[in-house]
Amino acid sequence: MRQISNEPMNSRIERLEAEAKNVRFHIVDMIYKAQSGHPGGALSATDIVTALYFDFMRIDPNNPSWKDRDRFVLSKGHACPVQYASLALKGYFPIAELDTLRKFDSILQGHPVKQKTPGIDMTTGSLGHGLSIGVGMALEGRLTQKDFFTYVLIGDGELNEGQNWEAAAAAAKFSLHNLIAIIDRNRLQMDGFTDEIMPMGSISDKFRSFGWDVLEMDGHNMLDIVLTLEKARLIQGNKPICIVAQTIKGKGVSFMENIRQWHGKAPNEQEYKQAILEIKGTEA
Amino acid sequence: MKKATKPTRKAFSERMVEYGKDHTDFVVLEADIGYSTYTHLFGKAFPSRYFNMGIAEANMVSTAAGLAADGRPVIVSSYGVFLSMRAVESMRTYVCYPNLNVKFLSSHGGVTAAIDGATHQATEDMAIVSSFPNMKVLCPADSVSAAKILDLSLETPGPVFVRLMRDPLYEIYDDSYTFKIGGSHVVRQGSDITLVTYGDMVFQSLEAASLLEEKGISVEVIDMYSIKPIDKETLLASVKKTGAVVVAENHQKKNGLGYAVPHYLAKIDCSVPFSHIGLDDTFAESGDYLQVLDAYGLSARCITKAIESTLARKKKELT
Repeated sequence: MRQISNEPMNSRIERLEAEAKNVRFHIVDMIYKAQSGHPGGALSATDIVTALYFDFMRIDPNNPSWKDRDRFVLSKGHACPVQYASLALKGYFPIAELDTLRKFDSILQGHPVKQKTPGIDMTTGSLGHGLSIGVGMALEGRLTQKDFFTYVLIGDGELNEGQNWEAAAAAAKFSLHNLIAIIDRNRLQMDGFTDEIMPMGSISDKFRSFGWDVLEMDGHNMLDIVLTLEKARLIQGNKPICIVAQTIKGKGVSFMENIRQWHGKAPNEQEYKQAILEIKGTEA
Repeated sequence: MKKATKPTRKAFSERMVEYGKDHTDFVVLEADIGYSTYTHLFGKAFPSRYFNMGIAEANMVSTAAGLAADGRPVIVSSYGVFLSMRAVESMRTYVCYPNLNVKFLSSHGGVTAAIDGATHQATEDMAIVSSFPNMKVLCPADSVSAAKILDLSLETPGPVFVRLMRDPLYEIYDDSYTFKIGGSHVVRQGSDITLVTYGDMVFQSLEAASLLEEKGISVEVIDMYSIKPIDKETLLASVKKTGAVVVAENHQKKNGLGYAVPHYLAKIDCSVPFSHIGLDDTFAESGDYLQVLDAYGLSARCITKAIESTLARKKKELT
């Protein structure tokens, strides 16, 4: 059985908020140095990914292929700077590697690659596959009779891909209670607002009707994130679990927030300095 | 040759059940055609290792990638048209790129599903799946080789695509034959021309060779069951001996084995007369299997014509 954290909630939240700030700094820093990458969706996912890597997931940076580890699939693979920053800060590889993002011969490819980066459980990048992969991992957990959780982080835009709903049906069919899908509901996709590009209706209702348990949270309120993730782990029954997280694309950098153009654009020197100042409260 | 009692799809799945008794690690994913691919036999024998994923091939193959991510061998089963096209990105990006241990049972290869029409005829599958790094591609010609290739695919690390057939044809091999990645078998010795083929076309090729024997033409037939990688050694030895080559396949000509063979020969400056039997940039149609083969230029009769014209070019080059 898993232990519920006995860390006092106040210090737990403070610790995670500080960690998230650090992750945000590295996201902007590595994308600036690469002059390429996707800051918007990485920043919207930062608080969630931070809570997973620095609190919830049972992982061992010294043993990335540990059979009992919790799995994490970043279905929205373009947001990988958030995962790379988290892995580096956890000690999977030196922080200095972050400076090689997207460069030739780097372990940090433009999108996550299992066989190149320690700690990446599965290659992702082409959208709409992560939930299917998570279904496979959760089935593997059942076959091996292990109690690990499989977390899949999915963008709301990528829910346009029909394969998500094939996977949603399969997860319910096989009663994959060890599968937790988190939807990064930042309401923006590459070409514009999700409701304009392809309205998907209520995501919560959709997952519920497929036979999932659905929770909702504020994806930037660390206390809400911690309480919701805790609830997801403890929920009884046999349904897969979906958490719809309300988020803001570009969160933490005022001029990136809710702006479509920051989906896949690197900041220039002036923007970089401004962004770091906002994140750290001090100059770069 | 003895008329076969079962198609390769059935032989493959029957062996899967036998093999599964001693090898308890692999699991099987099916896309709602288990009674056609015969994987339902595995499901009956090992219900906890059999997952019917419904009519959702892309999800099935990405799920297989998740299952295989930590090394577990997974067989996914469907028809070639669906596996090689509907699930192609899952196959390429999530199985081949991470080099995962997923095996593709791909039935109804070529126009062997003739009666079902072009929607169900996998006539581009070899071209598509052969282009992916890490992928190995095999096609057994009879039930003995189909059973042996089940073992081979599971014993080979990484992705393996196995093309199977809808209908029983003829038995080519006995149990003494062995099969390997990059292997082939000379199923008929000859000296005038090399005929390279695979799958159901092995039988058509052998028929063509018999017909030509009556005319005094000696055809060497190679069953190139390993389509990727091909058996270069056997191919070259035969072509050096005969000085002419024909590739016959139940597939589009474009990017099939008939492109791989002359590409290799050209690369080593081995220049010989060459012809290619296959679908000529066209879709086929519904009908009796042999009738469709003949109408689209793939039957034994059509192969004999191609061989005769290739031999005429060989003679011309010699004079």
